[in-house]
Amino acid sequence: MGSLMATAEIRLQPERVNGRRAAQPRRPAVLRLLQAERSEEIFPLLLEEIIALGNPRALVVDVNFDSGEVTPAAALKWPRQQMEKFATALWVSENPLVSVIHTARPQVLGKTSLYNRPLYIHPILYSNRNLCWEADRIRTGSCLAVQNFRRQKRIRLEDQVCSTCEMRAYAAAVVVELPKGHTEQGVAELGELIDLANRYLSRLFKVEHYYNRMRDMEITIAQMGTVMQSMADPVILTDTQHRVIMQNKAAERFFKVPDEMTEGLVRAVEFNNLLFSAALSSMLVSGSDSHRDLTLVDAIEGEEMLFEAVSAPTYGPDGIQLGTVTVMRDVTDLRRADQELRLNYDRLREAEEVVRQDRDRLNLIIENVGDPIVVCDSRAKIVLTDPLAQEVFGAGTDAGPDAVQFKNQTAFGAYIDSFTYSFSERENAPLRLYNPTLKQEIEYDARSGKIFDEKGQVSYTVTVLRDLTALRRVEQLKVERRMLEIEKFAATGRLAATIAHEVNNPMEAIKNAIYLLAGAVPESAMPVYTILKSETERVARIVRQMLGLYRNTEQVKPVNVNTIIEDTLLLLNRQLQRANVEVQSELENLPDAVIAADQIRQVLSNLVINAKDAMPNGGRLRLRTRHIPGADELHGWVRIVIADTGTGIPQEMIRSIFEPFVTTKGEKGTGLGLWIVKGIIQNHAGKLSVKSKLGTGTVFKIDLPVVKL
Amino acid sequence: MLVVDDEASVLLTYRLILEQQGYEVVACGTSREAIAAIEKQPFDVVLCDYSLEEQHTGFEVITAARKRDPETPAALLTGYATKDTADEASTQGIGIMFKPIEIDEFLATTSTMVRKKNESNEKGGEKGNAAPQTRRQG
Repeated sequence: MGSLMATAEIRLQPERVNGRRAAQPRRPAVLRLLQAERSEEIFPLLLEEIIALGNPRALVVDVNFDSGEVTPAAALKWPRQQMEKFATALWVSENPLVSVIHTARPQVLGKTSLYNRPLYIHPILYSNRNLCWEADRIRTGSCLAVQNFRRQKRIRLEDQVCSTCEMRAYAAAVVVELPKGHTEQGVAELGELIDLANRYLSRLFKVEHYYNRMRDMEITIAQMGTVMQSMADPVILTDTQHRVIMQNKAAERFFKVPDEMTEGLVRAVEFNNLLFSAALSSMLVSGSDSHRDLTLVDAIEGEEMLFEAVSAPTYGPDGIQLGTVTVMRDVTDLRRADQELRLNYDRLREAEEVVRQDRDRLNLIIENVGDPIVVCDSRAKIVLTDPLAQEVFGAGTDAGPDAVQFKNQTAFGAYIDSFTYSFSERENAPLRLYNPTLKQEIEYDARSGKIFDEKGQVSYTVTVLRDLTALRRVEQLKVERRMLEIEKFAATGRLAATIAHEVNNPMEAIKNAIYLLAGAVPESAMPVYTILKSETERVARIVRQMLGLYRNTEQVKPVNVNTIIEDTLLLLNRQLQRANVEVQSELENLPDAVIAADQIRQVLSNLVINAKDAMPNGGRLRLRTRHIPGADELHGWVRIVIADTGTGIPQEMIRSIFEPFVTTKGEKGTGLGLWIVKGIIQNHAGKLSVKSKLGTGTVFKIDLPVVKL
Repeated sequence: MLVVDDEASVLLTYRLILEQQGYEVVACGTSREAIAAIEKQPFDVVLCDYSLEEQHTGFEVITAARKRDPETPAALLTGYATKDTADEASTQGIGIMFKPIEIDEFLATTSTMVRKKNESNEKGGEKGNAAPQTRRQG
């Protein structure tokens, strides 16, 4: 308002005013005031009219609402130096100017300290008789102009902004020096003139306010347009019939028919519009849910894209829905990422399941190994133990290890420490630990291995502790059982021998008697005599064999099989030489086998004699022994191979040669030899096998178990 | 030649077989009888069953014979023998023949023992030929 008044002052040149007056005939004041096209033209015209009414001089003071200052803004015929007296401020309430503005009522002053001649002071305040359009449209009575006009409330100069249209009001006062002998009527006319000017001023002011608002709005609209266009997401404003009112560039890509029309593009756009319209309708129907997924075809790239459309209704000032604003978010990548994420998550779950199953299986295995298992980390700290190991070392979770477990931990710690930091990948060492179940210290066989990480560093070590004493006890039991078996066999042998022995003496007499009768048998009885003689000899052989089962029985003890072979060969040497059999023996160093030496001696002599008998024209007998170590160093086998270059055993007989009373020697054999061999080898938990080829020879292979005790 | 066996039929057949070979044979059924016979006369060869009446063994008879003449060849005739028995026999230089005895083996062993006895007699020279040289040869 200040600047407005300053311009007004420049226009208030007396010459120009006089010139205008000189050029035109005087028109009524109302019409003259109507010439004002802008608010700042009102005051100069008003002051001219006031002077024209015969008043010597007049001026206008203007209120600055921000500072509260009241300053002269325009004057006519008033000397400049005198004008400064009228400068004041709203808080100077004793000043007659200020009180007129505050009360908004004109006042006539006589001679005062302010001015030495009578003055008429008229307030000018933004006012209107009727509501402005805006207040009228929204049907509110809260219009500042009307409130000021009606003066219903006390004028609040500190709050001169309209609450409806946000228009800033103005306040001023017209000061007129009254002529000598002024009349009441003259003052009233003056008041009417000023009021009239104020009404024009208010209207012009309002128009200018609207213009300014319109300009501000245009700027806002332009800004909003820029914002909308610069959005990467399609934004569409549609009317209630789903017709597009406005859309941004991003939306045009999908919904506007492009300039270069190809049928494909047009169809794509049409299809998009159809889909969009359908989505809008469905959103409208569902009411609350204003989210829809929408697959649109990019008219330029030709790609399908997935959008999430969010719609909001737009309302006019009267509360009637004008249309819908839809913002679409491109969620193609988002969905793809989401799907990928979900897929990866599923894969992870599957992998976890596999790992879990593996772990369960491993746990099951570990629990069923039956030996304590200890897993240590790269710093030789125990990280995992199975229930058996927990007995030895403590569970690690509850109160902590007891004294014995602590001692075991220390012993184990020393062992696993040296293994973990050693270069070897495996370790196998005896370890003495206290066994809580047996309540004594026993020797474990600690077997350890390393698990490496991808860098080749040790990540874990796994140690299995085998209770060697338990293993040995089992072996001891096995040996004892085997001894019992041998004993049983021996008992059978004893029984056979007892029978044989009883048969033996009568046999001896019969045999001798037959021999003695040789010369006394008549020729006709010879065939019968021959049968008698040969069958008696056969019985004699069987009896001899049966006696052999028991002959020289003795205790089972560790024996070197090589010495038995040497003994046997020594014993049979003469026979073999006589039969022209060449003997080759290759006897390796052997560990002792726990055997009944005499029984094995019988096995060997039976087989050697068989070999000799199979080579009636002589040949070669090979005897070989070999130690076959077991996988665990505890067990193993002693192998004896007896090979001849004899006639061989017919294929059809080879299965039955170990059965009793089967012989290839005809009348000479008892058929008991190999049966006894088989029984003895079985009793020793040994293995017996035979390979034979007619005309080439026969190989017997015997494996006797050896146990390191 | 002294033959001892507690089984009468066996003893008889041994005697007959040996006599058939031309040996002069004294047959005894018990150890007591045999020891008494040894006391009466010396024998070139003693063939003796291992297990005799009651708990007596052939060792007793052979010991008695060797008391009289330590060079007396002797053999045990037995159905079976423990290792101890066999060991003891071998340390004393006593032969063992397991029953049933092959008659060839029986005769071969006997003649070897007789020859041995003759050789030792020739060396010693004081006794002369107690055992007959017979047609068994060959």
